[in-house]
Amino acid sequence: MSSVDIDVAIVGSGPSGIAAATALSKAGFKNIVVYERETNIGGIPRHTHHPSFGLRVFKRPMSGPKFIAALVRRCPDVRFETSTTITALRPGGVLELASASGLRTIRARHIILATGARETPRHGRMVPGLRPQGVITTGALQQYIYSAQLLPFERPVIVGTELVSFSALWTLRHAGIIPVAMIETGPRISAYRPATLFAKAMGVPIRYNTEITDISGIETLTQITTRTRGIKTATIPCDGLIFSGCFTGENTVAAASHLSLNASNRIPLVDQNWITSDPCVSAIGNAIHPADMGDQCYLEGAKAGAYVAQLLAGNISLDKAFSEIRRGEGIKMTTPSILRSDIFGEPHFDLSFHVTAPFRGAVRISQGEQVLNEKSINGLPMRRITLRNNRFATGYPVDVSLIAEN
Amino acid sequence: MSEARWDVIVIGGGVVGCAVTRRFALAGAKTLLLERGRDILSGASKANSAILHTGFDAPPGSLEVACMQAGYQEYLDIHTRLNLPVLKTAALVVAWTEEQLAQLDGIVSKAHENGVDDARQISRQDLLGRETGLSTTALGAVEVPREYVIDPWSAPLAYLKQAVRAGAGYQFDTEVKSGAFDGEYWHLDTGQQRISGRLVINCTGTNGDNIEQICRKPGFEIRPRKGQFLVYDKSASALINSIILPVPTATTKGVVLTKTIFGNLLLGPTAEEQQDRNIATVEREMLDGLIATGIEMLPGLAGHSVTATYAGLRPATQFKDYQISAEPGKNWIGVNGIRSTGLTAALGIAAHVQRLCGETYSDLANFGPAAAAEWPVMPVLAEHEKRAYQQGDGTEIVCHCERVTRGEIEAALDESDVPARSLGGLRRRTRVMMGRCNGFYCSARVAELTQGRISPPLAGHEKDQS
Ligand SMILES: Cc1cc2nc3c(=O)[nH]c(=O)nc-3n(C[C@H](O)[C@H](O)[C@H](O)COP(=O)(O)OP(=O)(O)OC[C@H]3O[C@@H](n4cnc5c(N)ncnc54)[C@H](O)[C@@H]3O)c2cc1C
Repeated sequence: MSSVDIDVAIVGSGPSGIAAATALSKAGFKNIVVYERETNIGGIPRHTHHPSFGLRVFKRPMSGPKFIAALVRRCPDVRFETSTTITALRPGGVLELASASGLRTIRARHIILATGARETPRHGRMVPGLRPQGVITTGALQQYIYSAQLLPFERPVIVGTELVSFSALWTLRHAGIIPVAMIETGPRISAYRPATLFAKAMGVPIRYNTEITDISGIETLTQITTRTRGIKTATIPCDGLIFSGCFTGENTVAAASHLSLNASNRIPLVDQNWITSDPCVSAIGNAIHPADMGDQCYLEGAKAGAYVAQLLAGNISLDKAFSEIRRGEGIKMTTPSILRSDIFGEPHFDLSFHVTAPFRGAVRISQGEQVLNEKSINGLPMRRITLRNNRFATGYPVDVSLIAEN
Repeated sequence: MSEARWDVIVIGGGVVGCAVTRRFALAGAKTLLLERGRDILSGASKANSAILHTGFDAPPGSLEVACMQAGYQEYLDIHTRLNLPVLKTAALVVAWTEEQLAQLDGIVSKAHENGVDDARQISRQDLLGRETGLSTTALGAVEVPREYVIDPWSAPLAYLKQAVRAGAGYQFDTEVKSGAFDGEYWHLDTGQQRISGRLVINCTGTNGDNIEQICRKPGFEIRPRKGQFLVYDKSASALINSIILPVPTATTKGVVLTKTIFGNLLLGPTAEEQQDRNIATVEREMLDGLIATGIEMLPGLAGHSVTATYAGLRPATQFKDYQISAEPGKNWIGVNGIRSTGLTAALGIAAHVQRLCGETYSDLANFGPAAAAEWPVMPVLAEHEKRAYQQGDGTEIVCHCERVTRGEIEAALDESDVPARSLGGLRRRTRVMMGRCNGFYCSARVAELTQGRISPPLAGHEKDQS
């Protein structure tokens, strides 16, 4: 067994990774490294230039790059290694790293995965048609416009109406482009309703109950065909198509490792303190709940980092065993997804989750016969619902279920 | 340019055209490849199952099986020198019904008749022991140990590169529209150019009967058959060990499950007759049907995400066998109807065409002194081999899903034999943007790296033109 090279290896330099590093640094840990595969740190905010960050952490709106710069000023001692990709995670705190000089292996006392999320692109959604150039995601759009100052198209259509879809709109406006339309499969936008005003102000029509049935163009995109309410078909001439939202965790490394995964979305299971099935690995941020706001990810990363500091200081003894949180119908995913006793005060947890479809009624957390918590909710798929401070008995599964209004 | 006179003009830069160009260039012929697309592999050759077939189930005695087996052997003979990969998976023809089980015997004897002596039936227990992910409804299988997986894009590129080093030329964005034979030379017209050569070899796939008209009445009709595919994320590839083939029916080889050389899992193809020669769309209903079939065979597939969907057109004709013939007195060879086995057979077809040329046109038999063969070394793209990022080529990874380095991208753009000049060409040469994120992380960076170097550009095209 090789000796330990560093105390904590943090994978990913987005808000959650930076937060965890900051917390550990504050707790006195010096031998920690944040690994980032891009040439610049900052994760998604590094190319999100509109003022949608900072409200909760700094109490004022900031652009993504300013937000990251402000976060980095809080942790002057943290070491970042960019252009370094983690290619494998192995038991015993071992990471395989790729950089310009090839592969190397390191061992850390603890590893924190903060690898973020991305949008599901066209192929992952299995949208029919041809494969011309000009079909991208919001993340790519932001990098084209803000990082590379390049225009991929001039008359695009935005697919989706999540918050990030309106980010796409904002980004296009910055480049002086007015999209042809936004299209949405449901009867209302997925983001909060007032967002429609922004589209209206820009003169961009939103087409509801509409899906894409064909993508045309041999080399570059020429038009799409849509179907509304399952009957009315229309063609929309356009030279760009932006698939926005529909987030998925960037868990390539975790999913190929020894960690236990949620079978339906291949996200690593984490307990109430963000520890995975392997007690020396944590997973935080959008990688495990694609996708929440940057500030939320930062606050979560700070808590997770502080917990790891306690763990490494020997103040906590962690149970290897864990129990499951079972999701009832209509619940997309929960954080945490497992529970374990850490012999650190009375066991309790905060539970966050998303519903799969709009839901009005109550949510109940129970363990056997015992109801741990119950709350009435008015849930929308993109809205994160949180029930705080649920006490539980260790060693038994917990159920989360939706109870419809009658 | 119109002055240039070639010995051989190959029309069509699919895998067959590339292999034919290589063969004639190495034989000393001044050979030119013409391709209407922006790069080689703009037709059927860019979308196939990438299996190196033994020919175990081909019609015995056919030209197809002869070319497949010769092509198979030549590929194995030359692949290490070109640094082309082989993934030695073996194939299992799986029976899912009693009726299919009863057919396995016949499959084994046909394989033996075709000289594939090591094909043998294995029991249900052996099958499920080897393939633990397979649905337990499987009843038995025929094992074909020497069916392998290769890289469908690097192979033809290597053939063309080797031809170029032996003095061959190539021209993309060049569509042959008509031509005339003056008794000694063909003069092909592309609309912009007249290109002259002594021998024309038609390797135009789904356009084969149209091009054939330039010389003669084609004795066949192209009936394009579309195949749609799904590429699953790399996480799915461990679900199988061997290529899982169905028991073929009279009309189709059926839906295959195979690893790709790049570490993904491939499911497909469908087989749909269609009219259009060039356009192959994917359709949701067919993909959903494929997925259902895939999950029925391999239940574990259900949790895995799809990286890519694509469709290709097989240049089938009304005949089962290849349609390869030389027109006496007219210096014209048609290479047509290379249905779904062209990747395997290409090198064998090329040798066959060279023989046919010698037999038919005695004056063309010897072009000149054979060229000294140079062996281009292809970059490593296979997942099971040591990739550039693992070696450390001194540059950063640009495409994170496929782990493509900046050095690899620059090399594909800068190389002198057949550099990438389109996004498709760059993707196939490097794997860039081929992964699960479809360019979420890297497309803007790739746009920067390729600015002014590929057509159409990834971005900024309106501005560039003004
Ligand atoms: C297009 C888009 C727009 C958004 N806009 C907003 C917005 O306006 N406001 C807002 O609040 N939120 C927004 N979000 C949500 C955003 O994801 C969060 O703000 C935040 O970035 C999440 O933080 P994170 O640290 O979990 O992940 P990320 O910021 O995604 O950081 C993860 C980092 O990990 C790195 N990484 C991944 N794998 C490896 C590996 N194997 N080795 C090394 N490094 C690796 C990545 O390169 C990345 O830098 C947006 C998201 C997207 C996709």
